[in-house]
Amino acid sequence: VSRHVPLARRALFQDRRRASLAAGGVAAVLLLVLMLQGIFDGAMQQVTLYLRQSPADVIVSQADVRTMHMSVSTLPPETVDAVAGLDGVAWAEGIRYTTTIVARGERQQLSYVIGYDPVTGRGGPSRITSGQSPAHGEIIVEAVAADRLGVHIGDELSLFGQDFRLSGLFTGGTTIANSLAFITSDDFAAQRGPTIAYVLVGAGPGVPAGVLAERVARALPEETVQTRQRFADEEAALVKDMSADIMQLMALISFLIGLAVISLTLFTLTLSKLREHAIVKALGAPNRRLVTLVLHQAAWLVAMAVSLATVLAVGLGRLIGEVNPAITVAVEPSQVLRVAVATMVVGVLGAVLPLRRVTTVDPASAFRRAT
Amino acid sequence: MGDGRRLVGSVVSAGLAVMLILLLSGLWSGIREQTTLYTDHAGAALYVLQPGVRDLTAGTSVVPLDVLDRVRADPEVTWAAPVRSSYVILQLHDSKVAPYVVGAVPGQPGGVWSLAAGRVPMADDEIVPDRVLARRHGLGIGSSVELAGRRFRVVGLADHSAGFMVPFVFVTHAALDDVTGTKASTSFILIGTSHPTTVAARLQAAGLNVLTRQQVAANNLRLATGIYGAPLRLMVAIAVGAGTLIVALAGYTAIVERQREYGVIKALGGSGGRLIRLAFVQSLSLGSLALATGGLLFLAGRALIETVRPQFEIPLTGESFGTAALASLAMALVATALPARRLRSLEPALAFRAAG
Repeated sequence: VSRHVPLARRALFQDRRRASLAAGGVAAVLLLVLMLQGIFDGAMQQVTLYLRQSPADVIVSQADVRTMHMSVSTLPPETVDAVAGLDGVAWAEGIRYTTTIVARGERQQLSYVIGYDPVTGRGGPSRITSGQSPAHGEIIVEAVAADRLGVHIGDELSLFGQDFRLSGLFTGGTTIANSLAFITSDDFAAQRGPTIAYVLVGAGPGVPAGVLAERVARALPEETVQTRQRFADEEAALVKDMSADIMQLMALISFLIGLAVISLTLFTLTLSKLREHAIVKALGAPNRRLVTLVLHQAAWLVAMAVSLATVLAVGLGRLIGEVNPAITVAVEPSQVLRVAVATMVVGVLGAVLPLRRVTTVDPASAFRRAT
Repeated sequence: MGDGRRLVGSVVSAGLAVMLILLLSGLWSGIREQTTLYTDHAGAALYVLQPGVRDLTAGTSVVPLDVLDRVRADPEVTWAAPVRSSYVILQLHDSKVAPYVVGAVPGQPGGVWSLAAGRVPMADDEIVPDRVLARRHGLGIGSSVELAGRRFRVVGLADHSAGFMVPFVFVTHAALDDVTGTKASTSFILIGTSHPTTVAARLQAAGLNVLTRQQVAANNLRLATGIYGAPLRLMVAIAVGAGTLIVALAGYTAIVERQREYGVIKALGGSGGRLIRLAFVQSLSLGSLALATGGLLFLAGRALIETVRPQFEIPLTGESFGTAALASLAMALVATALPARRLRSLEPALAFRAAG
């Protein structure tokens, strides 16, 4: 038997509809894994956006508080001056922060509300896309959140039981769960007291963030001091840890279904081609050749399923983004690779039953008349 | 359907897809039940929240403590208790957990509603985590936990308090005041009364934001639906799609491999429509078997999940079973539609050719 005859591919694709259904079935369950992971990864990108775009090199928070997401941090206001006076610090600025509802009538948006100094703008959004930064009694919200709330610049929004006038919009930071909103630090303090939540610290020229963080940490041993990168990593770890259980569960079920489908397809295919396998064996091909043939078929199925699932995940992600901009679906290449490797393992496991069947096929059966 | 192993393979594959639909639907029901855990158990008829705040899960309501005296002064208020609540990130075993921390005044309502072991927190350095969270991270009575830089001692384990992604943890009100750096205020006030309508009206007239237990529960649920609803519905839709393709694959394979028999029926005068009806019955049988198998797999899977990850509550509701049954029917319809053209154009002469 010539090694160049692509028996595996020909047998698999002889009935293209069956091959497509099998690949489609596996792809659908892989799509489930990719989409769920993509939603969490997208949320992670949005959750860390404020930090990634911050001009701060170092961030100070309450002892043992390492994140902003679902966190409460309280620092005395004088912490800002204590940091600002340190060697290597170019600037230090406190921000106030809480999680609460921003509402317009019956429409509500769960928001991380940040009180900052609009004059420096360091604690605010990286860019205001329309309108202007908030003055006393004003608020700025993310564009998707504004759309959800049905508000335009100049409209009133309810926050802390008070009315705030919408003065501007920015983009980025809205997830399916929450959004960002900014008011002036003084307005925040008037509602929630003088304490601050975090101190953003800028490094002087030539001072690496890590060195500055160590210096600030020595000066403030009671507080938590992290570089901006470290802080963003902690935020990402929180989203990852919170979603780990549900991800593992969905992945396990999906791969089990994938295993069953691949196994069923290869087994059915092997049974229907037993006579051909017997002929190959009668022509002198060793069992190794038949094993390779089945494994090739498994590889083809897996490759088709992973490719289809990836294309569908990217397409569906874009569609979801259009329909609901609050949901960001990030299909990362590393995640696709992980899914592909896991599916390949599943494919090999799915080939076990058919492999048993082809290795035990009697070459003489090739010459018996089928009934 | 011929080969028994192939039938088993088909039924198990489709059954797994049905199980996935049941699990996802059940998970969604569980999330909704867990969302109203606090309001279901706190025993209050009314809640006083900061103006503008309508639920407990969204976040930080701040109510001045002097409001408590005004509430207690109402003649029809049986009891009123302040409760502070906050999300606090815990670092346990190199992983981050975001519990909903509830701080109640010792001896007053609003704290632990069910204990699996130990006692409720009385001192400001005592903590009672949910028992599922505790087991997961090896915490027992006497263990030490760091909460925002403060050290707490576990004095009890709470039962029926494992929320989806967000478990409950209980401390004293004063302890949470200290952790959050907020004094002379509380998050919300619970009110016990036999006359909720009149009390609510009176307190609202006095300028307070008063909501009934049902309103707070509905708002909690609305918020949770907004967060989890869309992704879970998407997952269910994908699971239905996967199941449809799997049943279609199994049905199609069975039909293709039996086309000689179908040819015989056609040669004996059977119409294309009769063959399609036959194929539909076959697919429907497969769908029904898949539904039954999926139900059994769901029960086994749920038992396993609730043992390994008890924070996931997965009830089997009529709604989720209805979704799975409808999905099975849809699967059967699609599974028949795919080979329909092939069956209609089947040559009767096929029946008389030698197989090979």
